[in-house]
Amino acid sequence: MNRRAFVGFATVGVASSYAVTKLGGGQQAPLADGPHGDSAVAILKAESYSADLVRVMLDGAKACGLDVRGKRVLLKPNLVEFDATTAINTDPRVIAAAYEVMRTLGAAEVWIGEGPGHRRDTYDLADQARYFETIPSFERIFTDLNRDDVSPVKNFAGEDRFYFPNTALRADVVVSLAKMKTHHWAGATLAMKNFFGLVPGSVYGWPKNKLHFIGIDEAIVALNRTFRKTFAIVDGIIGMEGNGPIQGSPKHAGVLVMGSDLVSVDATCCRIMGIDPEKVGYLRMAADLGHVRASRIQQRVERIDAVRTPFVLIERFQGLRLV
Amino acid sequence: MGGVYLRTRRDNLLNVQNPDGGWGYFPGKASWLEPTAYAMLALHDDAASAEAIARAWRLVENWQLPDGTWRAGAQVQDSTWVTALAVTLCSVDGKWGPMMSKGVGRLLDVEGAERSTLFRLMSFLGVGKVEADTSHPAWPWRAGNASWIEPTVHAIIALKKAQQRLRAQRIRDRVLDGEAMVVSRRCADGGWNHGSARTYQIDSPSYPESTALALLALQGRPRDAARGLAMAREFHRTTKSPLALAWLSIALQAWGDTLDRPPDSTAPSDVMLTALEALAHPDGNHGLFRTGEIA
Repeated sequence: MNRRAFVGFATVGVASSYAVTKLGGGQQAPLADGPHGDSAVAILKAESYSADLVRVMLDGAKACGLDVRGKRVLLKPNLVEFDATTAINTDPRVIAAAYEVMRTLGAAEVWIGEGPGHRRDTYDLADQARYFETIPSFERIFTDLNRDDVSPVKNFAGEDRFYFPNTALRADVVVSLAKMKTHHWAGATLAMKNFFGLVPGSVYGWPKNKLHFIGIDEAIVALNRTFRKTFAIVDGIIGMEGNGPIQGSPKHAGVLVMGSDLVSVDATCCRIMGIDPEKVGYLRMAADLGHVRASRIQQRVERIDAVRTPFVLIERFQGLRLV
Repeated sequence: MGGVYLRTRRDNLLNVQNPDGGWGYFPGKASWLEPTAYAMLALHDDAASAEAIARAWRLVENWQLPDGTWRAGAQVQDSTWVTALAVTLCSVDGKWGPMMSKGVGRLLDVEGAERSTLFRLMSFLGVGKVEADTSHPAWPWRAGNASWIEPTVHAIIALKKAQQRLRAQRIRDRVLDGEAMVVSRRCADGGWNHGSARTYQIDSPSYPESTALALLALQGRPRDAARGLAMAREFHRTTKSPLALAWLSIALQAWGDTLDRPPDSTAPSDVMLTALEALAHPDGNHGLFRTGEIA
């Protein structure tokens, strides 16, 4: 309670030693073995957003065995704030390509939904990020998850009931269209952390401070325990390094990372970014949900070494650097 | 008054009112207290809306919880910051009875978790380096969480309006503390964001809608509001966010600015935005957010 609560308070603007002590060292429990079998993660080169992203993603979907035929698919981009000088949000061309890929693969319905954590005007944010002009019929297929109708879910992170948007609960598959970024609290924000945007601001506020009081790592894992029918496409064509997820610098990595095991996808992204995923708190906590260890992840299409692009880490996370 | 712009928005609100008396964030969606409150304020004193307002009040009355707070929506049993909106509604409509006094009492009892003994002790022990001034009790989105700008603003407006009738020292003290919190969270550029002006010694930018809201809380404190007002006028000229523009129009008019009437246009499909645009119109009910300084 004390540690979690302090992090919730800390998000007001407090820099605590919590993350470093938790992530960087000290005695850690052994990493869980994870589920049976290995996980497939596709690493795909894409030098720029002008590349044929649909073809690239179709290659990735095939490599991962993605099957969305007849399913209702929710594409969940990472739309946080807009700053033209950096790369905060999932690029709209990645979202447009993912939409086309899901339709091509036979999805019955494809929706886009997001609930930004700070700004109230989601549509204005989407407009600034060029979602309206880039994604066909965006207004028709988009739901502001912050103001969607909701339903309660039992036993979320120790809460008797926790509310989620009906659009997310009705989806057969939630596709995390995340941005490859460092994060000044969690170390990295990738496919799993992106699910913070599934929490409705209409119930939990802007920011969704309740999640901070649950504990950022704990909340990431709880969200991923709740939403299990998932797939991930991480936009690492241009990611963010340094003081992410908002105030960092753009970082070209020229890569998309895809897979249905979000733990493995995030672990792979970390290795590409030069971060040791076995030191990242939320990945250690989620190691029963998916695979963190490299030996249990089948890297498809490209090898990590072919795309490795070390991201700048803020001082408190130097201990996460992959040796 | 207000011409087509205002009438279309009010008519639109009347057309999309739910059978339970409330409004959803979007037409056909479940009722929530936030859009319901703004719709009721937008339709306040509109002769064509009297029956709709009466139905809405029945819902608001039913949604008050035994502890004096209000539930957030039809599908949500929990209370949130919307208690402040309900208290403001009570003041506007002169409902000074037990419903309001319980709501005011609850608002006075709630403060952000940063004021708890635990956090103050941890801060004292140097467990964390505080970048925000946490010495002023303010309001969270949900009880038990930290304080942020928007819920604090709504609580201040609600209590200032209640104070015009109740004249209680405790209300005055909480409002003054809340205003101090708002001042302390001002961004380096002079405006406000959600409540985090600096992170790791890096200044965060302000948002237009949050700046507008903060200025509503600081009515009667011209020295504290001066830089924010300049920022708000600049935002009002440049922002493309309809939501921010509505809040900026409400706030600037509360501070005495005279604004041009917007050109006629159809109402947006967003119900909350429709209500705020109706409120923000120079002939709309933006004056319901006018409080002046705390009595």
